Amino acid sequence: MARPSLISGAAIPRRLLAGALLLPPLALFLAFFVGPLVYLFWVSLHSASQTALYGHQLTLEHYAQAFTDPFYLLIIRRTLLAAGAILGLCLVLGYATAYLIAPLPPRRRLWFLLLLLFPLMVSNVVRAYGWITILGRQGVINTLFRGLGISDAPLPLLYSFGAVAFGLMTILLPYMIISITNNLAAMERQYHEAAQSLGANPFRAFIHVILPLSSPGIASGMLLVFLLTMSAYVTATLLGGPRAKILVSLVYDSVTVFEWPRAAALAFVLLLLALAIAGLILLVLRPGRVQGRG
Amino acid sequence: MSRSANILIVLLAAISYLLILGPILLVVVTAFSPTDFFAFPPRGISLRWFETFFATEELRSAFWLSLELALAAATLATVAGTLAALAVARRRGVIAGILQGLFLAPLVFPTIILGLALLLFYKVIGGVPIFLGLLIAHTVVGAPFAIRSILASLQTFDPALEEAGQSLGAGPLRTFFLVTLPIIWPGIVSGWMFAFIVSFGELNTALFLTGPGVTTLPIEIFSYLQFQGGQLVIAAASAVQVALIVAIVFAVERVVGLARLVRSE
Repeated sequence: MARPSLISGAAIPRRLLAGALLLPPLALFLAFFVGPLVYLFWVSLHSASQTALYGHQLTLEHYAQAFTDPFYLLIIRRTLLAAGAILGLCLVLGYATAYLIAPLPPRRRLWFLLLLLFPLMVSNVVRAYGWITILGRQGVINTLFRGLGISDAPLPLLYSFGAVAFGLMTILLPYMIISITNNLAAMERQYHEAAQSLGANPFRAFIHVILPLSSPGIASGMLLVFLLTMSAYVTATLLGGPRAKILVSLVYDSVTVFEWPRAAALAFVLLLLALAIAGLILLVLRPGRVQGRG
Repeated sequence: MSRSANILIVLLAAISYLLILGPILLVVVTAFSPTDFFAFPPRGISLRWFETFFATEELRSAFWLSLELALAAATLATVAGTLAALAVARRRGVIAGILQGLFLAPLVFPTIILGLALLLFYKVIGGVPIFLGLLIAHTVVGAPFAIRSILASLQTFDPALEEAGQSLGAGPLRTFFLVTLPIIWPGIVSGWMFAFIVSFGELNTALFLTGPGVTTLPIEIFSYLQFQGGQLVIAAASAVQVALIVAIVFAVERVVGLARLVRSE
């Protein structure tokens, strides 16, 4: 956000003005975003209590439990597996779609992007409901299968790991497409042509030129998809039921039994995991290397 | 690319659009079912589930609460967001970077953690009325969308125009209302729209902060699906949600244009 320097005489009142402008939003974010998170962390370090929000004793037991208890480890593994499957599918489908709509004339590209933006505005609960009507016992797929005589008994498609991963993938896919499309659309077409005129076949030109240059779009798409996967409690509950829980479900479950310190610790385990994987994504894709930033 | 590769790409793109739009269209079509339960393909068209929706007290009140909440939260988020964007855009260096990071953080932050944090925070400060608690949460979650949109329109704004206004004798407030605001207002309008839509569909913080009798439409839909699945009145509730979003997007598109609408996201 570099701004051209201002006329020096006006600089001091402007600084004061900027400070006054900053005060209300900063107060809002400190009081209701940073503050509560710091308090949540404080709660996570305490023992449980029957009567109060948390006990007197400082302890790391809830964190230790999350990383040693076989049940928690199973859920963490399942969460990462789901995230991996979602990212992989989003990347393939998202890249292909972006590759197709990025070269379109701007006006038509905007319409295709609006078709992707609109579903993101619809609440996830409605979109998950759509998948219930498709995958449920009386759903579209089971009705079709019965009609075609493929199977008599309804297939248990819903309430499974696959339903969570696939449903969530389709819900988050627009983020991936939009990120990569914006990246590809901004890319100079000449790169592609230069590579080909130097003798690279279209496939080689894609692998060695286009794909590396689109790493910022891939990285931002992946980060968004991954981070939203981590907090998709409602989708996971509706499509997975009690048998396909992911990490975020455990946070909510602890709240429903008033285990505040454990819920807090699990929330921070989730955050830690999210940051670690986000860091890994950035490390592998190195979006900064494009435009000589890395 | 070879011919078969092209066909594969078109196929993958078509599958993507089908998977993204199909479930939403199916819900909207289901809302017009005349049958008691979900049947595919639908057996005709009726508005009975919409009548049931508006006749069901808890659904109707959840809808009104969501609407009031979204209007109030979007407006607060836009005021805070405009101030934040103006303040950040006028600064340079590390502090501007930190501030921008802070203000945009809820965009990628797992908001379910924020919901839990606010729930405990409200408890420890002695309780907060449910509507106010939701309003605060929705404002914090929606503000970054407003800030991002307004920052984008400030990027193309030439500060020399403000200086010109001030050198002609206008005070900072007059300059803002006569010079800055008319130029950045499309960003403010689309920022308000995004904050409204985010609030209207918000789940992750509302999950913890709604209470008995005071609940939002998405949370009401969620609990219906969880505990009384198969009721088609939920399809009608979902269709009402979708219709409201379509109406707002088209209204804002008329005002600010398609390009700004899509780019500010």
